[in-house]
Amino acid sequence: MVCQVCKEREATIHFTNMVGNKVEKIHLCHLCAEEKGFDYLKKSSFGMGDLLAGLLGNASGKVKTKQVRRGCPNCGTSYARFKKVGRLGCSECYDFFKDQLMPLLRGVHGDTRHLGKIPKRFGKRVTLQRRVHELKEDLRRAVELEQYERAAELRDEIKRLTNSDENRDETCRQ
Amino acid sequence: MSAVKELIGKPAEWLSGENEESELVLSSRVRLARNIDKLPFTHTGREKVMADICGTLKETLSSVRSMKGALVIEMDETSEPDRMMLAERHLITLDVVKNYRDRALVVRPNEKLSVMINEEDHIRLQAIESGLSIRQAFTSVDRLDNELDRQLTYAFSENLGYLTACPTNVGTGLRVSAMIHLPGLVHNKDIAQVLDGLRNVRLTVRGIYGEGTEVMGNLFQVSNSVTLGLSEADTVKNIETHIRKVLEFEKKAREVLLKKARSLLEDKIWRAYGILKSARLVGSKEAMGLISAVRMGIGLGIITDVPMAVMNEILIMIQPMHLQALYNKPMIPSERDRVRADYIRSRLGK
Repeated sequence: MVCQVCKEREATIHFTNMVGNKVEKIHLCHLCAEEKGFDYLKKSSFGMGDLLAGLLGNASGKVKTKQVRRGCPNCGTSYARFKKVGRLGCSECYDFFKDQLMPLLRGVHGDTRHLGKIPKRFGKRVTLQRRVHELKEDLRRAVELEQYERAAELRDEIKRLTNSDENRDETCRQ
Repeated sequence: MSAVKELIGKPAEWLSGENEESELVLSSRVRLARNIDKLPFTHTGREKVMADICGTLKETLSSVRSMKGALVIEMDETSEPDRMMLAERHLITLDVVKNYRDRALVVRPNEKLSVMINEEDHIRLQAIESGLSIRQAFTSVDRLDNELDRQLTYAFSENLGYLTACPTNVGTGLRVSAMIHLPGLVHNKDIAQVLDGLRNVRLTVRGIYGEGTEVMGNLFQVSNSVTLGLSEADTVKNIETHIRKVLEFEKKAREVLLKKARSLLEDKIWRAYGILKSARLVGSKEAMGLISAVRMGIGLGIITDVPMAVMNEILIMIQPMHLQALYNKPMIPSERDRVRADYIRSRLGK
C-alpha cells in the first residue's frame, strides 16, 4: 500500500482513528509520519484540508520575512492561519504565499502547472504562453538530438510569437 | 409547497438506473470549484460580504440558460432535518448542514445539475448522471461554467489555473467521481488489491458520502485527486479508463462466483430479497447490505421482477431524514427501523 501523503513510498505505519462509531484508516510511510507529526490525526474528521494543515505544520521555519508574517495584503490571512486551517483566505493569497505553496502543490499534485480550461478573459494570452512553452520543450529536445536545423526553426518561431505578444502588450498600455 | 418538499416528492432522475453500466455504477458525478476574483473565500469572509456574494450569485444563476426553472433554496430558511435530507441526496455537503449562514443551493428540479453557493468555495457546480456517464455529466457542468464565465470574474492565475480555498482543488477545480457497486470483489477479497491499484494511479476511494465516510452496501466512491498538470479532458479520460478496468474485474469476480458457487450465491441473493420483503425492523446498515445482494441479483438476471431504479430509490429513501420527511415526524432510531422496513416492503410490492 502506498503512503497517503507522498504517494510514492510504501505505507508502513497504519493508524486506526475512532470517530464516534466510525473507524478511519490512515496509511503513511515512516518518513512522512515522522516529518509531519500526528496532531492533525486527532481531529474529528480526516479531510484533505486537515491533511494539508498537518503537512504545513512543520514548515514554519521556512517563513522568515516580516511581510509574509504580517499576512496577505488583500484579505489579511497570515501564514500561521493558513497552516492552522489548511485553506487560503482569498485568490491573492496564492501569489503572496507563492514560495511556501509551490513545494506543497508539487507534493499534492505532482505538478504545478495548470493545463486545463482558461476563462474567456485570459484566452488568447494563456494559449500563446502554452504554445511558447511547448515550443521551448521541442527546442530543448531538438538541441539534445543535435537537430540544429529544426532547432533554428523553433527558435525563430518562439521569437516571432514572443515579439508579437510584447507588441500587443505595448499596444494595450497605450 | 417549499422547494425542499418539492424535491423530496419525487426521485432524483440520476437514480433511474439507465445509461451504460448502471448495474455496476450507481451514479457519475462531476464537480467544478470556482471563486470570484479578489473576494475573500467563504471561511474568511465577513457576514456582509458573504451575503452580497450569495445575492449576486443567485441573481446570476437565475439568468443563465442551463439553470432555467431551477429551484433556489436559501439555507438560512431551512431546518436542520431539511438540510440533512439535501445532504442525503448528495446536493449539499455535511459542512453546509452545520454552517448554513449566507449559503444557498440552486438546483434543477431533476437534480442532475446544481450549484452550491458559499460552500468551501463561492461556487461549486455539480452534475450527477445515472450509470457510467462521466462525459455527459462533464458536458453539462462545463456548459454552465461557460455561461457563468461570461458574467463573473473568476479567480484565476495563468500558471495555477482556477484558484480555490483549498490548494488540493487548485488548477482545474475538477472532481470527477463515480459510485461503483463491487460486491463480487468484496466477496472474493480482491477488493483491497483493486483499491490499492486505484490509489497508485492517484485516484481516491471513499465511502458513500465522500470524505471521511465509511463504505456501506459495497458501494465505493472513486474520484481523482490531482487537479494540476492534467487537463479536464485527460482527467475524465483517465478516471473513466480505470473505472472500466475495475468494472471488468467485478464482472469476472461475479462470473467466477456463478461458476463455482452458484447455489450459495443464489441462496444469498434470494434470502436478502426475502428479508427485505418480509422484515418488520431493519437498520440502515443491514438494509444497505441486503440491497447490495439484491442489486447484484438483478445485475446477474437472477431477480427479474424488480427494476434497478426501484432499488436505487430505496437506497436514498431509507436514509434517516428521508424517512422522517416521508412520515412527516421526528423519530428515534428504533422507530425508523420499523418505518424503514415498512417502506421497503411497500416498494417491493409484496
